[in-house]
Amino acid sequence: MNINNKIIHESKSHESGEKHVAGSANYTDDLLEPEGLLFGAIGYSKCAHAIIKKIDLSEVIKSDGVVSVVTINDIPGINDVGPVLPGDPIFPKKIAEYYGQPLFAVAAKTNEQARKAISKAKVDYKELKPIITIQEALKNKNYISKPKKIIKGKPLLSIKNSKNYLKNNFSTGSQEHFYLEGQVAMAIPIEENDYLIYSSTQHPSETQKILAKMLNQLDNSITVDVRRIGGGFGGKETQSFIFAAISTLLSYKSKKPVKIRMDRDDDIIITGKRHDFFSEYEVGFNDKGIIEGLIIKIASRCGFSTDLSLAINDRALFHLDNTYYLPNISITNYLCKTNTASNTAFRGFGGPQGMMSIENIINDISLYLGVETHFVRKNNFYQKNHNNITHYDMKIEDNVINELFDQLLKSSNYNERYKKIKRFNSKSKYLKKGIAITPVKFGISFTTTFLNQAGSLVHIYNDGSVHLNHGGIEMGQGTHTKIAQLAADRLGLKFNKIKITSTRTDKVPNTSASAASATTDLNGAAVLNAIDKIKENINNYVKNKYKINIENVVYINGKVKFKNKEFNFKDLIMEAYLNRVHLSSSGFYKTPKIFFDKKNFKGRPFYYFAYGASVSEVIVDTLTGENKLLQVDILQDVGKSINEAIDFGQIEGGFIQGSGWLTIEEVNWNSIGKLTTHSPSTYKIPSVSDMPNKFNVNIFKEGINKEDVVNKSKTTGEPPLMLAMSNFFAIKNAISNISENKNYIQLDAPATPEKILMAIENMKEKNNEIK
Amino acid sequence: MPQKIRFIRNNKIIKIDEVDSNETLLNYIRTKLKKTGTKEGCSEGGCGACTVVLGDLKKNKIIYKAVNSCIMLLPSLNGKQLILVEDLIYNNKLHPVQKSMVKFHGSQCGFCTPGFVMSLFSMFKNHKNYDDKIINDSIAGNLCRCTGYKPIINAAKNLNKINNSDHFSLNNQKTIKLFKLMKKTKKYLLSEYKNKKFFSPTNVSELRKILENNPNSEIISGGTDVALKITKELKTLTSIISISSIKELNFFKINKNFIEIGSATPLIDFQKIIKRYYNDFYEILLRYGSVQIRNVATIGGNIATASPIGDTLPLLLSLNARIIIESKKNKKTVPLNKFFISYRKTILKKNEFIRSIIIPLLNKNIFKAYKISKRIDDDISSVCGSFNIEMKNDIINNIFIAYGGMDEIPKRAINCENSLKNKTLSESSINLAIKKLEKDYNPISDARSSSKYRMKIAKNLLMKCFLEIKDNNNYRINEY
Repeated sequence: MNINNKIIHESKSHESGEKHVAGSANYTDDLLEPEGLLFGAIGYSKCAHAIIKKIDLSEVIKSDGVVSVVTINDIPGINDVGPVLPGDPIFPKKIAEYYGQPLFAVAAKTNEQARKAISKAKVDYKELKPIITIQEALKNKNYISKPKKIIKGKPLLSIKNSKNYLKNNFSTGSQEHFYLEGQVAMAIPIEENDYLIYSSTQHPSETQKILAKMLNQLDNSITVDVRRIGGGFGGKETQSFIFAAISTLLSYKSKKPVKIRMDRDDDIIITGKRHDFFSEYEVGFNDKGIIEGLIIKIASRCGFSTDLSLAINDRALFHLDNTYYLPNISITNYLCKTNTASNTAFRGFGGPQGMMSIENIINDISLYLGVETHFVRKNNFYQKNHNNITHYDMKIEDNVINELFDQLLKSSNYNERYKKIKRFNSKSKYLKKGIAITPVKFGISFTTTFLNQAGSLVHIYNDGSVHLNHGGIEMGQGTHTKIAQLAADRLGLKFNKIKITSTRTDKVPNTSASAASATTDLNGAAVLNAIDKIKENINNYVKNKYKINIENVVYINGKVKFKNKEFNFKDLIMEAYLNRVHLSSSGFYKTPKIFFDKKNFKGRPFYYFAYGASVSEVIVDTLTGENKLLQVDILQDVGKSINEAIDFGQIEGGFIQGSGWLTIEEVNWNSIGKLTTHSPSTYKIPSVSDMPNKFNVNIFKEGINKEDVVNKSKTTGEPPLMLAMSNFFAIKNAISNISENKNYIQLDAPATPEKILMAIENMKEKNNEIK
Repeated sequence: MPQKIRFIRNNKIIKIDEVDSNETLLNYIRTKLKKTGTKEGCSEGGCGACTVVLGDLKKNKIIYKAVNSCIMLLPSLNGKQLILVEDLIYNNKLHPVQKSMVKFHGSQCGFCTPGFVMSLFSMFKNHKNYDDKIINDSIAGNLCRCTGYKPIINAAKNLNKINNSDHFSLNNQKTIKLFKLMKKTKKYLLSEYKNKKFFSPTNVSELRKILENNPNSEIISGGTDVALKITKELKTLTSIISISSIKELNFFKINKNFIEIGSATPLIDFQKIIKRYYNDFYEILLRYGSVQIRNVATIGGNIATASPIGDTLPLLLSLNARIIIESKKNKKTVPLNKFFISYRKTILKKNEFIRSIIIPLLNKNIFKAYKISKRIDDDISSVCGSFNIEMKNDIINNIFIAYGGMDEIPKRAINCENSLKNKTLSESSINLAIKKLEKDYNPISDARSSSKYRMKIAKNLLMKCFLEIKDNNNYRINEY
């Protein structure tokens, strides 16, 4: 692999950085509006579970500026935006299954007119009893698919034979994506039944397919174009489809271009979020805290439909081990069907929820034994040459957690600080500090094997400039920047000679979603494949024309160096063009080695693992539950980085987003299933004061990807989110300082001031009982 | 006669003939000016993506204020200089603030970026040095979901190394001339468009008259609360009176015994004054909305909206603030605790307005206030507690306790106060008083907190107040 060029490893600024700050980077709502554009708005169910008796739209149609109205009866083809399995109707046929489910839509001359018209609809409901919580769903056995059971080793016997035993339960909360750019799509009729759709989506190919099915047309009649999106985080992997579908349907009916830009509240009410999870466990362990047997029931709130819940729950199960060797384990997984929006992908995709379950168990064990948690963690770590088979039978070949964890313990001065905090706490009655270190091991690849493919299209114009497209979506993660760096390096050109334009389904077909942290790995490799094909054309031309050896040709610094002849890249390209050499190519890549047997839950679902660890130090006000992050130290394995600045950005941003999930962000429904947290005034994501006072982030110097991934790098898409687990457990550690009777701390995530204070109160009550 | 709205942009005075008073500034920028750098993130002033900067001439100096254009009504632009993210570019070159953001990787998805750029631009123009506190305060009203804020803070810190002259300072004199030109023609403004009236009187007597003739008007200053009726409730407001141009309502008087603040004084100015007398009041104001909100929102507005979770209200209640209410015929002083009737209802009649607020200066008293919320910045409090204690020889001579978030109106804890009067400040008297809070309040459960937690916090805050006094020490996590 050619890694001589300086372009790789350089911390290039984001390819659109200058446009972002100038306000000239266009998002879907910023595009030049076509003549006659109409604006759409969506009317949704005001009941969580009800038979829809009648929808009276007579006043809606008469409302100012309204041009067109659509209901289920206007859909010529398939009424479903379900990505994997059917069950996500655009408009439900008879029964509304959550508060916020779209029922009809209007197109009007202005956005305001459309929104005002919606409120004039009269909908008759016959209310049914909704199921809102995981507990209600478990009680009623209301599932989206049959409970799944996985057993490895002899969990029951091992627990029986263990010296120590614990039983407890734990919950993690939901999370709203809060992408800053809300859901938006603009459909433009082209000719006959062809449509061009601009959509803020992570998944243009699936959007195309769903729209074609909806209109009963072939995929080739629909083109989806995405230049960039203002944040996705999983919330636009499938949840964008319904907005693209409805704007296209309105366009189909009105024969006009139609744009739907969601109001923030409606966006949050309509779309799904991170799955909240509930787990119950029984664990047997020895005096060193080594887990000998584990029986765990793990249930998630999936919402009213399947969406991606099967894969998300699978990923939760894949990450129940985190970095720990669990030879005897029994898992039962319940996928709860509830009358809430269909929960969906969110950075980590079930992985964080699985990991939090096991980290909480480790924490409970260490409290029980009175042993510092980092010892218990280390005692359970996977090893390099033994204890290295996961509960899904994958052998871990790239384990670096032991050395990475030790390095961080040292560089963060963990032991010293631990002692210092103890001293502080002995003197401070009301304010308590806490510290925790947590590891992360995150599996990279789509666990649905066929999705691990990518395509590209590269052109070299005869002035020597390069234009390329690939299947990935630029959503802030810097994939276009990294891929342009890879391309520049492979061609020996400067970064500014490479241009990446919108991701379009007519340029690169059949793409997978920009998800699973794999976007740069897959699409970068596909781009390099295309470039290598063009280079082969050029090299062969030189070989035939000049009769020279084309082994070890080097493209570097704008030059192409053959064994005894050197060209300027630009000149050679023009020469090749004049000699009728093909200077354009598509490229393809598929991830090798991976396979998975879903039925037996066995195989190698992941190409490689990304590792990291973090230390958080917090202070908690035990009178109010308020808390503050004082210091965070992170060590992350990014392999050989393509762009360190982007990787740092992903790590820091991921940590803060994870911290939000575990400490601040709380999604609430009222008793009738109406979401009560649907705006920035009621749903709080971290703001600048939630940054730790000290934020030390380092890249694991020894990191290198053992597998053949672009530049031997490792992704930083999802893994850093889970580094935030240390924040949660530092809070728990701080609370543990207020009482001698430590093994009774029941703290669920998110650890909001309310939950923290209630946990403290419960502890105090328990203590009084014991006294 | 309806008048035109005038404002300065890019060294020109721009006139708008037809002004829909219900149109937001953001909508005008994106759909009429066709400038799409300014983004809509939430339409309620909660994310900062729509931040623009308004210049205003004060004492021959241009003051730059970051505002949320999504909840500012277009007529409020009258007489101001409008600066958009696109306008920072000069001679095809990025502004130092923009350059710094690129250099320090301050953008990822880029959608929040123009808002951050404008907040930092306003900081750049209004300060000479940018320490952690100033930076934090300047961007606390901007949300970013990608970066975790560190690179943005680094970009802001880097501005310390950069000379803060730019093309706005270069054109300073020219702009001032334009302001003066506008001021000449600027008087009491009336706009009427599609049966929607907007009045902007310049003095109190005009206001009295307008109010008498249009009693069903919404009175606004910053309009940060009223605008939500348009953006969120989709209501049409047919008559709006803005008091933000009335100099007589934007003032403060300080003497030995009290501060008097004009009702249209923006909170950003109020916070500087109150800092000298009640530090906890100041600290809570720093967490009130954001700079963008406090630049236009006023103390009068916070009182008149009578929100149970309005953050200044419990503080003012415990300080025994009074308000001066005026109408065409009448002027009266009312103690604040007699002002609120029920949920968002006050004694204010349709033809009345709040002229000013009087806050007693009690420098011998102990004043403490606490705001508890999920997030530190720009969050609505679960509970806000305020304590004003007058001690006499170790005996509580007088005590005023008020809470927000505990009832449908912000309210004093009378039973609790009575149980503490003439007692020593001791753990036993506090424990007794804590129990009385259950008599004073019956809080609700909502998206923010449960009623159980609210009650527990209210009790603990009283305890915390006592402990801090007893130990002569503050127990505050933000000091770490």
